[in-house]
Amino acid sequence: MLVVALDGVPFTFVRRLFEAGELPNLRAIAERGPMAQMDTSVPNVSSVAWASFMTGMNPGKHNIYGFLDRHPGTKKTYIPTARDVRAPTILDRLSQAGKRVFSMNVPVTYPPRAVNGLVIGCFLSPNLEKASPSPEVYEVLQGLGYQVDADPWRARRDKADFLPHLVEVFDARMAATRHFWRQERWDFFMTHIMETDRLHHFFWEEMETEDPRFAPAFLDFYRRVDRALGEIIAWIDDDTTLVVLSDHGFCSIRQEVHVNTWLAQSGYLSYTTDAPKGLEDVSPSSVAFSFDPGRIYLNVRGREADGWIEPGPDYDRIRDELAAALAGMSDPDNGAPMVERVLRREDLYTGDAYAAAPDLVLEMVEGYDAKGPFGKPELTFKGEALVGMHTTPDALLSISGLALDAKRPHIIDVAPTILSRLGVAVPDEMDGVSLGDVVPVRG
Amino acid sequence: MVTGHPADAGFTVWLTGLSGSGKSTIATALASRIAERGLRVEILDGDEVRTNLSAGLSYSKEDRDANVRRIGWVCELLSRNGVVAIAAAISPYRAARDEVRSRIGRFVEVHVDASIEALEARDSKGLYRRAREGALTGLTGVDDPYESPERPELTVRTDGGETAETSVSRIVAMLEELSYLAPAAASQAAADVAYTEDEESEVTDRLRDLGYL
Repeated sequence: MLVVALDGVPFTFVRRLFEAGELPNLRAIAERGPMAQMDTSVPNVSSVAWASFMTGMNPGKHNIYGFLDRHPGTKKTYIPTARDVRAPTILDRLSQAGKRVFSMNVPVTYPPRAVNGLVIGCFLSPNLEKASPSPEVYEVLQGLGYQVDADPWRARRDKADFLPHLVEVFDARMAATRHFWRQERWDFFMTHIMETDRLHHFFWEEMETEDPRFAPAFLDFYRRVDRALGEIIAWIDDDTTLVVLSDHGFCSIRQEVHVNTWLAQSGYLSYTTDAPKGLEDVSPSSVAFSFDPGRIYLNVRGREADGWIEPGPDYDRIRDELAAALAGMSDPDNGAPMVERVLRREDLYTGDAYAAAPDLVLEMVEGYDAKGPFGKPELTFKGEALVGMHTTPDALLSISGLALDAKRPHIIDVAPTILSRLGVAVPDEMDGVSLGDVVPVRG
Repeated sequence: MVTGHPADAGFTVWLTGLSGSGKSTIATALASRIAERGLRVEILDGDEVRTNLSAGLSYSKEDRDANVRRIGWVCELLSRNGVVAIAAAISPYRAARDEVRSRIGRFVEVHVDASIEALEARDSKGLYRRAREGALTGLTGVDDPYESPERPELTVRTDGGETAETSVSRIVAMLEELSYLAPAAASQAAADVAYTEDEESEVTDRLRDLGYL
């Protein structure tokens, strides 16, 4: 089985390009395995989405809720990594079943866990050496010019300079994919392309508005990815199942929304300093704080460092009041509603890692991108560098030999489908359900 | 190594010492250090056990020994099935502890030691004050005996100098030395923190530039 993960590639956008006669190889893939629009995790950031994919479980079990979290009972924050993924991944399960596995760049696989095969860490790796499972692999990757991730700072400094850099990172990623695919006959091989997501973050709006400086380069990048897919199709034989998927959709940012600023302005959050930088500066009397994207944590006694809200009726009452207020958040420029829905933890998560879950999660109106910094003076912000944001219902999935058209898959359904295809029992603890029997496609 | 939990990975760490000496604190921190090694771990805390497994038992010598045997029995089942069991219980009588030790085999005893004066001064649960006021009788170390271990694998002192973190590091080092845990270098991928401070700030900058924070 060969899995190609295209980070942040929207189903609807790909369909639009198909209609315009673009992406012939991806279209051919979609003919072998009808492509479906797929739902993703809440929140819809890559670390949560891919951890959900890798485990077939909801965050309440795998414990990854975002790119930042806090140690229980403290104001110390950390970046969740593979170390914090509390559930076995499909790599672990396939390894245990004696299958040879390869995985490259899939969030959240840093630090690489020991498997029956190779794991090359994701963009959360601090450097290439630490992304590599062994000195030998490090040497190979270095020789291919492989980079853990494109440098986003270059996009912030000069967008025109970022594009060739992105191409270089993508080409090296493909070179490494080629190298390790040829190395042995893997039972499960997965490569993850982050560059599409990076392209979208910095150029989605320019693409949508057909900005002559960047829109053609945007399309060229997609053509480059499609050519790579053409090469990949040529590698595989009839017995190899090809899976192509993304982890979320994309849209243009109208405004970035500083949720902590709204909490502070509305009297729910205060700080111990005039220039707050992080959770450590949140005052003990605060009701709630937020982490990206739209995760809201109440100051609950016994859970947060200075928690005072009693679990039970007090918690319910305060949370209901806060949820109602959050639902009314509006754009200060024009009064437009910014929040689609306010979701409660018990409606989203279940499992051993439930205690760490946010109390509320904001589902924003498309275009309003909930952000997590502390102490920003302005509630909303429209920058020129970051112009694209994730959406939840528009990921894509294609599995060769599996008719998906009538189904509405969720990203947690892919892991059980993969296990069944490879003849490995699907454990009861997985939340996803197998999407059906995959039949080999001939010819 | 394929991620998995071989049945022979299990063992029991038995923390014994007076009330308030820091057994629970050490147990919690030790559990997370062991979990970081990829091992499954459970804590049996004396205070909690008395609300379920040993509910109804008194503080007589017989019942205290019965409590220790029950905790020991659960530790034995866990250890036998590849889980690291950490018991945090006063367990005042030497004979009962030794009995549990010989049943389990893969067993290390850690004496969490603090002077009664220090414990009275700290008195985190208010027990020593109540004992002195006569509102509580049978408090170990005050009017009930505590038999210190004669040959514990390790003694940690929690009444000055040594922080809980240091105590835990000494226990981990002892477990490595006795081959219950793989030496840190060999289990580096699992034992090290994911990031050094510099690395974490570098990755944080990258996440910020991507608008993910």
